Amino acid sequence: MPEEIDTKNKKTENKREPNYWKGFKEIYNDPEFSKKVNEDLTESKPKDANGMSRRKFLAFVGASAALAGAACTDYRDKGEIIPYNKMPEEISLGKPNFYASTCTLCPNSCGILIRTREGRPIKVDGNPEHPVSKGKICVKGQASILDLYDPDRLKGPLRKSKTGIFLKTPWLAANKTFITALDNADKQIAVITHQINSVTTKKLLGEFTKKYPNTKIYSYELFDNTIRNNAWKKSYGTDFYPIIKWDKAKVIVALQSDFLGTEGNRVENARLFAEGRDVDKVKNFNRLYSVEADMSLTGSNADYRLKLKPELQYNFVMSLLNEINRKTNIKIPINVSKFSLKSFAKKYSLDAKKVEFLVNDLIENSGKSIVYAGRSLPEKTHIAVNLLNEILGNTKLYNRKTSNYSVAGLSTYGDFYKLITDMKNGGVSVVIHFDSNPVYHLPDNMGYKKALKKVETVATLTESANESSEVSNFVFATNNQLESWGDAKTRTGFYSLQQPVIAPLYNTRQKEAVILQWVKGLNSKFKENLYHKYLMDNWRATIYPTLNSEIEFKRFWYGILNDGVVLKNEKIKSFGKFKNSSLSGLTTSPVKPNGFTVVIKESYALGDGRQANNGWLQELPNSLAQITWDNYAAISKKTAKKLQVQNNDNIKVDTGSGEKVYPVFIQPGAADNTVTIDSGYGRTKVGRVGEGAGFRISGLMSGKPTFSPWIYTNVKVARAEGTYTVVTDQEHHVFEKKPTENIFKKRGILFEGTVAEYEKDHKFLKNEREEERIVTPAIYPRHPELYKDVKWGMAIDLNKCLACGDCVIACNSENNVPIVGKDQIGRGRRMQWIRIDRYYSVSYDEPIISTQPMLCQQCDDAPCENVCPVAATTHSEDGLNQMIYNRCVGTRYCANNCPYKVRRFNFYNYRDRFKDGFQEEQLFDLIYNPEVTVRSNGVMEKCTFCIQRIMEEKAEAIREKRKIIGENVKVACQVACPTSAIKFGDINAKKSKFVKYRNHELGYYVLEEVNTKPNVTYIAKLRNTHTEES
Amino acid sequence: MSVDYSKDMVLFDRNPELVELEELISKPIDTRPSKKYFIALAITSTMLLIGVIAAGITFYYGIGTWGNNQTIAWGFGITNFVFWVGIAHAGTLISAILFLLRQRWRNAIARFAEAMTIFAVMCAGIFPIIHLGRPWLAGYLFPYPNSMNIWPNFFSPLDWDVFAVSTYMTVSILFWYLGLIPDFATLRDKTTSKIKKIVYSFFSLGWRHSNRHWRDYEKAYMIFAGLATPLVLSVHTVVSFDFAAAIVPGWHSTIFPPYFVAGAIFSGFAMVVTVLIVVRKIFDMENIITVNHLDKMNKIILLTGSMVGYAYLMEVFISWYSGVPTEQYVAINRAFGDYAWAYWIMVSCNTLFPQFFWSRKIRRSIPAMFVIVILVNVGMWFERYVIIVSSLQRDFLPSSWTYFTPSIIDLGILLGSFGLFFTMILMFTRTLPVVSMSEIKAVVEGAQPSHHGGAN
Repeated sequence: MPEEIDTKNKKTENKREPNYWKGFKEIYNDPEFSKKVNEDLTESKPKDANGMSRRKFLAFVGASAALAGAACTDYRDKGEIIPYNKMPEEISLGKPNFYASTCTLCPNSCGILIRTREGRPIKVDGNPEHPVSKGKICVKGQASILDLYDPDRLKGPLRKSKTGIFLKTPWLAANKTFITALDNADKQIAVITHQINSVTTKKLLGEFTKKYPNTKIYSYELFDNTIRNNAWKKSYGTDFYPIIKWDKAKVIVALQSDFLGTEGNRVENARLFAEGRDVDKVKNFNRLYSVEADMSLTGSNADYRLKLKPELQYNFVMSLLNEINRKTNIKIPINVSKFSLKSFAKKYSLDAKKVEFLVNDLIENSGKSIVYAGRSLPEKTHIAVNLLNEILGNTKLYNRKTSNYSVAGLSTYGDFYKLITDMKNGGVSVVIHFDSNPVYHLPDNMGYKKALKKVETVATLTESANESSEVSNFVFATNNQLESWGDAKTRTGFYSLQQPVIAPLYNTRQKEAVILQWVKGLNSKFKENLYHKYLMDNWRATIYPTLNSEIEFKRFWYGILNDGVVLKNEKIKSFGKFKNSSLSGLTTSPVKPNGFTVVIKESYALGDGRQANNGWLQELPNSLAQITWDNYAAISKKTAKKLQVQNNDNIKVDTGSGEKVYPVFIQPGAADNTVTIDSGYGRTKVGRVGEGAGFRISGLMSGKPTFSPWIYTNVKVARAEGTYTVVTDQEHHVFEKKPTENIFKKRGILFEGTVAEYEKDHKFLKNEREEERIVTPAIYPRHPELYKDVKWGMAIDLNKCLACGDCVIACNSENNVPIVGKDQIGRGRRMQWIRIDRYYSVSYDEPIISTQPMLCQQCDDAPCENVCPVAATTHSEDGLNQMIYNRCVGTRYCANNCPYKVRRFNFYNYRDRFKDGFQEEQLFDLIYNPEVTVRSNGVMEKCTFCIQRIMEEKAEAIREKRKIIGENVKVACQVACPTSAIKFGDINAKKSKFVKYRNHELGYYVLEEVNTKPNVTYIAKLRNTHTEES
Repeated sequence: MSVDYSKDMVLFDRNPELVELEELISKPIDTRPSKKYFIALAITSTMLLIGVIAAGITFYYGIGTWGNNQTIAWGFGITNFVFWVGIAHAGTLISAILFLLRQRWRNAIARFAEAMTIFAVMCAGIFPIIHLGRPWLAGYLFPYPNSMNIWPNFFSPLDWDVFAVSTYMTVSILFWYLGLIPDFATLRDKTTSKIKKIVYSFFSLGWRHSNRHWRDYEKAYMIFAGLATPLVLSVHTVVSFDFAAAIVPGWHSTIFPPYFVAGAIFSGFAMVVTVLIVVRKIFDMENIITVNHLDKMNKIILLTGSMVGYAYLMEVFISWYSGVPTEQYVAINRAFGDYAWAYWIMVSCNTLFPQFFWSRKIRRSIPAMFVIVILVNVGMWFERYVIIVSSLQRDFLPSSWTYFTPSIIDLGILLGSFGLFFTMILMFTRTLPVVSMSEIKAVVEGAQPSHHGGAN
């Protein structure tokens, strides 16, 4: 309901002003314009709550998408649809605009670059200017575009009635009642938030605390680096564990750490790690050892992988210290005599050879190696690891130029226990969930949800309904991160800026603006730019002066908004020598493992679960298990045998706070007696997409963990009744026995070698390929006149590819790939155009993992083309295998005949079928890339190398009267790849960088003997092992 | 042992009178069907209705209602298509090739076999259309002049199918109708009903049994037989190209054309025998369609079954001999992998059980042959299923390997196709003479007097 200015509403409608996103118009500082903008933004529509009428919606979509001239992104404009008659300067129809911003979905606060079309954000990429993420962004950030257009978002503020039903309420009324509650709060006001990275948000919360002095701020993250930082502080005295120079490391030992997958800033880690995997500098190849219980992304990329239960990591590190002492006589300031590496390896059946390699490598590469303990390991292990790095001189790999920075620290479980006790005792009047979901995240045994019932007023600021909002009296619907202003500081040396790229789609407000309104009181009228102004003022007053900029503030401000970041000269606190005093708490005799261990792992796709309603993320297969839509209890084959369970059988897990049931997945390479479960699933109050996906883990966690908050030892595990089907896209073969032993190598799908082999003979792969080559005759006669001009090709460097799956989400977003849902994945009907193939070989216990991104190979002699009866898939003159959707009748013959199985058939109209038309709802249409056809039922589709981006370059070339430059085209997966493993370009541009990869001596085509002449080259993976054998 | 090939088969157990034959054959047309007939019709039309509903659901929701997936893009649809096209072949073989070879015993069964051909092609023809993702655009497969100057892709075996099957359908219908003309005239002359008279008069095209008519008729019949003969070989050859021309291991094989043709005749004869056993009993035609006829057909089943068995062995051998690992793996996987059950059903039904026909006793025993031909029908359906599904299931990239489970809609459509086939057969038996009256009269003792006496 309109709370303010209803009359203006009318006025603006009459004026028929085009209404588009305003941020950049302000650059021109047009006062009249900004006035109008504010009027438009503040107008609040009664219809918003009910949704727009279908007619209007169609009119809107028709006008914006089809005509592309009348487009205007602001849904608040209910005026008639007319084309731009006064063209906004920054929008050229048909050309995308890019805006820099900051992702706020996790504590890393990476820089993002948002592609908008006619004012409508359609894709999120990394911001190349950002010093940490450098143009890359993880899957969560990429998929956040889908959160923006999520039809399940809250459409406006809600108030719980006495009967427990949520009622729509105007902002004014909600604020009024809530402010009264705040004013009347005589006891504690608790604000619970995720980690605060924004300087301005911190200031704002400070002002709130000032106004309501009995406020306390609590912050938490489901996964954090507290243990590592605390250990560091004990060892070295400074606050933060330093940033590691992975690129400089020759030997990396990851102990129960998934630094390439989920720990720390994985985008940065992956990039730096991959710099040590450059085939052109093979001498600099790093060697990765992974010692872990679960099968992580890091483990799958390791040159050597050892299985070890997490509680034994301490013994392992101490044994390493002992062994190094024995071999080198380096003094160890702690008694490690009881730890013998040999007997340890024997006892826990670690491969003695691998352990020997590891020790020798560490000694030989001292100063160039790094041992990295996982964040979930307990403090003493971290201290022991710090010591190990110290005595090896590995402190050289600590980055001393920049360090992590925390705007505000996190609360401990102790703080929360205190809060909960207060709540139970009636000592808390108001609880505000500031975009956080503690009911879901906090361990169940802390009793937070129950305690919340004792609190009179509970408010939740959130984008969409969640477990915490469900038990609140007030729900304040907040903006998506793409509709919000903000700043972030996570490291020394720079600030990151966040700006909205679209006006709020619903009757929502930025969460900071809501608080600010409370601070200011109702006497000050709400304006959409409230927080924007506050942010600017804060910057002008506090940050701008510290930056010593010579540019006048306004211009400076636009400049940094444009860049998304601003650099700052900052010195970091230097750390000194290792403090031996920190060793006092370390036990000097080995700890013994007993029973089962449960490892709670951050889900690669879903993280802590706040994006559980995001279909792209739910449907992103775990790159190893290839499981979608669920989490599961991963156990080893031996453990499964012991428990007498098969895949999909239920097991009950009891960490001390009751039995919880999970379906089993037998993970090759998992450590015995260990159960690994991903976080982020099992949301009970979530939108339609996330409903029923997986199982929650808070029941396993404890507020008073004995070992570590994410690892529980001595757990009771037993077989439970029933089964639950977990769906996967790839069968779980381990190609260990005939006739399928190493089948993928024999068939020429994956060639691998070792660094030693390559150094000895750069052409080893070529020779190998020559030997095994069977030339199948070509189907078509040669046409030397073809492909004279440009011919598109791709090269994928398997040395750099980590199999993370970032490319999959990028492709989904760029190419309008539909979500199909769990049942369809279970039926083998995945739609993603690019996928990560995973092959296990050697054995179930110690598998070797080979992965490979697979997409349309754009074969010159494409087997799909000659079998299509209606010529719906044809070849273009620049070497692309095209799909003509309009012509396709859906015989699926092409899919059968495709040896790479990369063609995707629309078995249903998935937009209609998935969750009852979820993808056909009003807002959903706005997410589509207007350059790519939205496919319907019965049509075949597949990757076409982002032909729309190629056409963009073509148009540009024609306009500029030049030739097409291959490297100007950046395809979506290439842009997203955090390690830049994907290269794209013109095969005929002989001098280009791309062609070097295309003709690389390690390059090969998949299934060469089929002779389809693919245009995707794979650079064979080199394993950095000690032998020449791969 | 010496066999006298110059001697013809005994065509009738007891030499009938010409009028008796006419009465017997036209009896089902002239009399009111019994209750049993309507019960049978109710069953088959219910099956048909289930199929129509299943197809309707497919049409409305999409191919997703079937069991197909991204790896196994063809499942029941194409299996059924090939199965029914195969069934069709027996009819043309009997009516055309055996005619040209002067196998006069065929006269008793030719009409029925031809009718089955047409019905089977109708069943088959449905599948390529309903298996399309967008069946309403099926017309794109035909070459028609259009403003955009787009033609079908003549490289595609699926497009060859369009021509092969539609040609086959057209020729079969014309050939069948040609043979029916004298019979229509006979019926016209016999009937007392006014409506029937008009209908028969229309279809008999003014036939007056004149000498000249007979001469022209015989000529035309001969020409059509000549036209239809190559089709027996070509249609299934083209259908086999759907597989042979693809690169999928397990499909890409030069043995496919002869193997498919043999399989088609094999399954077609099995189906003819299955239905004739029932029909001759119900319509008291045991004297016209004798055990001798069935015996002959069983011999052909034995022959073609052995040819099919040879093809199975040869496929395995070639996959080993080729040295292509993917081919070898498909062969191993068929026999021992996920679809081993289907493979062994196929092998046992198609090569093992027909071997019982070496025994004359079994060849002439109605219950024994009934069981065997039913098994052959099952086996031949599974043959297509194995070829399609087990090859696609384990092709080049192991990452895409998967399993096919049919949906209830798949089963419904399969059931519906049988429903359509048998409904058509039932209606045919009551509307048209199931045995060609003119042809059967021609082989009765003394029908064609000669100087040498006897039937020749």
